[in-house]
Amino acid sequence: MGRVAYARVAPNEDLVLSIEKLCVAEGFRHAFVRGALGSLVDACFLAPDGGTRQVRGPAVEIVSLAGEVRTQTDGSLRAAITGIVADTEGHVHGGPFVAGANPVCVTFEVTLEEWLPAAA
Amino acid sequence: MSDFTTAPALPRARTLVHPGPVGPIRIEHRHANQARHFRLGMAPGKTMEDAIIQPLLALGVQSASMTLLGGKLERLLYCVAPPDPTGERVANYTRPIDAGAATLIFGNATFGRSARGEPVVHCHATFVCADGQVRGGHVVVDRSVVAGAPLPVLVTTLDGIELRITQDEETHMPLMRPFAAAPMWEETSRAI
Repeated sequence: MGRVAYARVAPNEDLVLSIEKLCVAEGFRHAFVRGALGSLVDACFLAPDGGTRQVRGPAVEIVSLAGEVRTQTDGSLRAAITGIVADTEGHVHGGPFVAGANPVCVTFEVTLEEWLPAAA
Repeated sequence: MSDFTTAPALPRARTLVHPGPVGPIRIEHRHANQARHFRLGMAPGKTMEDAIIQPLLALGVQSASMTLLGGKLERLLYCVAPPDPTGERVANYTRPIDAGAATLIFGNATFGRSARGEPVVHCHATFVCADGQVRGGHVVVDRSVVAGAPLPVLVTTLDGIELRITQDEETHMPLMRPFAAAPMWEETSRAI
């Protein structure tokens, strides 16, 4: 087991990109999301037809999140994050989060566990 | 010449303006070189708050991030966060909504300290309400009660990090933030 990082992400930062930036700041090359909760202004998911689906807030509550960060062949970091959100009436929606389209509303708390592959 | 790729246009992300001064740090983070995993069974008949806090304190855990697995609750109360009509905040929690005897599907929780130093749990989850509807939101842990069987929780401790709620100037909300933890033991004298 590698290191564990906890971050509080401030308003208007993007959910997916902030997870990647947290890995850059902590020096993690690979990581898993261990826990996350908070809220988004609006949520934006990738739809099965290749388009996107937006859940309007504010605030959209993040109620479940799973995902990982992997170092790409060009050295960049890429997070793939899926999850479930609750809208302002408590109705739930889910899917893969679109990078750059999920701004944090009030706060986003995230815990990442560094992953040290045996043959990286 | 630059390469261009065609992609469907994304919905434009909205940048909200909060009532207070913008904090200079946008990603406030700390790491623990060592962390521990515990499997916890939340005790039936207790509030979710007590069922998490009591065993963690007994284990000497100061702060932790948790994954709540599936299980039954005698009662679950939750809040959602629509726009705040007073304008004091961008969004604010509603009064607790009663989901009745609910089934937890999945949740995440953070264990830290209040501004006064008391242990607190912040939990968001998705669940099936007593009427069969699937809903989600901020769980009111001190008024939600574990039913029948121990509800399993995976605990990842954040050793060396103190999570503490402070009043956030920008959003006007009490928010959990990471600080360096004070050592649990202090050396006061040394025998030679």
